[in-house]
Amino acid sequence: MHRVIYDNTLRPSRRSVLKGAAALGAGMMLPHGAMAQDSTPRRGGTLRVSMPYNPASLDPITGRNLPDFNSLFTIYDALIGFDDTTLELKPMLATSWDWADDTTLVLELREGVSFHDGTPFDAEAVVFNLRRGLDYARSNVKSDLNGVEEITATGPLQVSIRVGAPNAALPAVLSNRAGCMVSPASVQAAEEGNIDRAPVGTGPFRFVEWRDNDLISVTRNDDYWQGPDLPYLDAIEFRIINELNTAARTVTSGQADVALNLAAQQIMVARRSEDIIATATTSMTYYTAFFNYARGPLADVKVRQAMNYALNRADLQQVLMLGLGEATSTIFPSEFWATGPDAATHYAYDPDRARALLAEAGHPDGLVIETLSWPDQAAMQRTEIIGEQLAQVGIRLNVTPVQPAQAIQVFMIEEQGDMLISPTGGNPDPSLAYDRQFSGTALRNAGKIELPGYRELLDATLSTLDFDARREKLLELEQFVIENALHLPQYMSAGMSIQTGKVKDFTYGILTAPRLEAVWLDEA
Amino acid sequence: MHGVGRMVLRRLAQLIPVMIIATFVVFALVFLMPGDPAVTLAGEFASEARIEEIRALYGFDQPFLVQYANWLWNALHMDLGRSLFSNEEVSTLILSRLPHTVLLVVYALILGAVTGVPLGILAATRQGTRLDKAITSFASLGVAVPNFWLGIILVSTFALDWRLLPATGAVSIFEDPLQAIYYATLPAFALSTNVTAVLTRQVRSALLEVLGSQFIRTLRAKGLRPHAVLWSHGLRNIAATILTVAGLQFNLLFSSAVIVESVYAVPGVGSLISYSALNKDFPVVQGVALVLVVLVIGINLLVDVLNSILDPRVAAST
Repeated sequence: MHRVIYDNTLRPSRRSVLKGAAALGAGMMLPHGAMAQDSTPRRGGTLRVSMPYNPASLDPITGRNLPDFNSLFTIYDALIGFDDTTLELKPMLATSWDWADDTTLVLELREGVSFHDGTPFDAEAVVFNLRRGLDYARSNVKSDLNGVEEITATGPLQVSIRVGAPNAALPAVLSNRAGCMVSPASVQAAEEGNIDRAPVGTGPFRFVEWRDNDLISVTRNDDYWQGPDLPYLDAIEFRIINELNTAARTVTSGQADVALNLAAQQIMVARRSEDIIATATTSMTYYTAFFNYARGPLADVKVRQAMNYALNRADLQQVLMLGLGEATSTIFPSEFWATGPDAATHYAYDPDRARALLAEAGHPDGLVIETLSWPDQAAMQRTEIIGEQLAQVGIRLNVTPVQPAQAIQVFMIEEQGDMLISPTGGNPDPSLAYDRQFSGTALRNAGKIELPGYRELLDATLSTLDFDARREKLLELEQFVIENALHLPQYMSAGMSIQTGKVKDFTYGILTAPRLEAVWLDEA
Repeated sequence: MHGVGRMVLRRLAQLIPVMIIATFVVFALVFLMPGDPAVTLAGEFASEARIEEIRALYGFDQPFLVQYANWLWNALHMDLGRSLFSNEEVSTLILSRLPHTVLLVVYALILGAVTGVPLGILAATRQGTRLDKAITSFASLGVAVPNFWLGIILVSTFALDWRLLPATGAVSIFEDPLQAIYYATLPAFALSTNVTAVLTRQVRSALLEVLGSQFIRTLRAKGLRPHAVLWSHGLRNIAATILTVAGLQFNLLFSSAVIVESVYAVPGVGSLISYSALNKDFPVVQGVALVLVVLVIGINLLVDVLNSILDPRVAAST
């Protein structure tokens, strides 16, 4: 179940917040219905959104970052939709998707949908878009569509996708960037096919204007296929405000209705305002430290396990996320469908066991881990606390601060250092999440090696197409990653937003990629 | 005016080499900064091969001098290129953002001048009194207070508590001048305290020096009224000082704007250059640097021209 970790419509006293935090620690959840209103949705109004990140592009396949979806999902629909709270797939532009055989996925498309430029959405458009994802030089989704060999329009509203090897993650890929449908006519009309700043989709809103790092505005698509009532809003204005406190202030001062992608500090500050609703909801982003386990001290599984036992994750989460996250030993929130019941708590805080493991590994006097960390204040604070906890069992971190982009170069490409402390996540499919962090080809796997058994387990999660059977395979893979301590997971982050009371039916969703067509404004 | 004309010509001739040197230095600094735009461009889950592909696609694999020469060649053809990260034309970006920053800076300068100059005069003419001490202390405080901190305090008081002024944002001066000024008031005030403080101190000390000089004593001895001594002779003689200090402050305000713009979410060139530099967005950083160089040189020239009109000795000596 999707969990609202903190929602101050409940107006808790300080004591009840503490109680609530304790209850969360014990695994209890606040009801999601806490936010529900019984009034009926109303049409009209402009939603004013503040968000800290300027998208790199409004072309879904050349963009790069998770927060881009705030605006992307207003303009585009994907072939396949997903449930906001469980990430289970559901029909969108494709009404069904079935494996005709192990390597052929057949999509049946929705009838009567058209792009904002009036051209029809059909099988040809889907073939065009998927081919573009594979062939366009600037496409960032080539690796998502890895293994796709042939895309054919097998009917006016039917597309068959043939893959080289079974790939159970493909439908989830089609719910993400690669599946967002762009008008082929708009691409053909654009210079060099570049539609970064001229997006035309089938989504609930049409693109109006993008003033770089300042404003993105979209207006209602009156011909939306989920209409005539949806979308409820007339327009949305996204104000891009890089500084998180400033972004939050736009809502407290009444200049914006909702602010997205905030951090725990802003949620705590907003809580003090009577008329502001601050929410933190489960997200797929997690904080971890990537290991280079091909060489050096971290090549020894006992050292990796010792580090995992040495962390007091509950404390970390309480201090660094102000209690809004979830301590974890795995890479998914505990309510996600592909995680086992004991995965999050596998490495209970046990410094004695950590010391014993270190001694067994031949480091009775402890050891030094060369560590890379981002240089911003929050990251350094995180690194210091982790370092302090590890020092208790004799593991000393020798920390070098590096900018995020440089960290990738230094740690993942040049293979310097033993570990990199960094957040990651936000993958639409669990197999992809493992593949992008632990496979030999993954940039995040700095040592570029796979432990014996890993490949078979990962392949099984991709070749098992039945949902329940696949889930079993995913749990086996999860257990393998945890037991081999392939990284140092700390806690799940949360999707954090603040809003005024007049914004109704806004849900951030587990992927923090909100869809805004059902949001409405109670102007009364 | 012969001297003034020659000075303008000479300054204009200096403009081109200064622009080339400045953009070269900025380009080199951005180039030397750690980090790789290709990694950012490739996206969160890119492979190493994809990063290589991006490097080739954007020409990051070429030698530094070739990259700079390419940029310069295009710039000379009035093409500042496009942002690496959002594909927006750099010229469009600058044109849309510069007016916001210029408004803030000019507004702050005016606020600083209308407060700083009178305070300086008041302090100088009441030298040694409690009022003088109060003004001097206030000026020291004004120099010391960081304007981002002041900015936050102003927002919480005037925008969040009293709801008198907007907390964030900006309106284009071309769309609605009154609203633009209304929105710019808080950030301009936050920026202006430094100007007020510096002008107060400079005006005070310059005026004290002039008022203590021989010719003022002679004027007083001749029986000229104190009022006339101050206004016709004292202030006239420090006009050049005021102008020079204001010119320097104008240039400094552009750098202070970087932080104040982010506190108030003003979409100006300050926030643009900090955001672009952090992301190593070469074309944008280069474009903004170029425009700022031209602006600073232009302002310095204007100050010198005005100075030489006020005081012909300046033109003769330059």
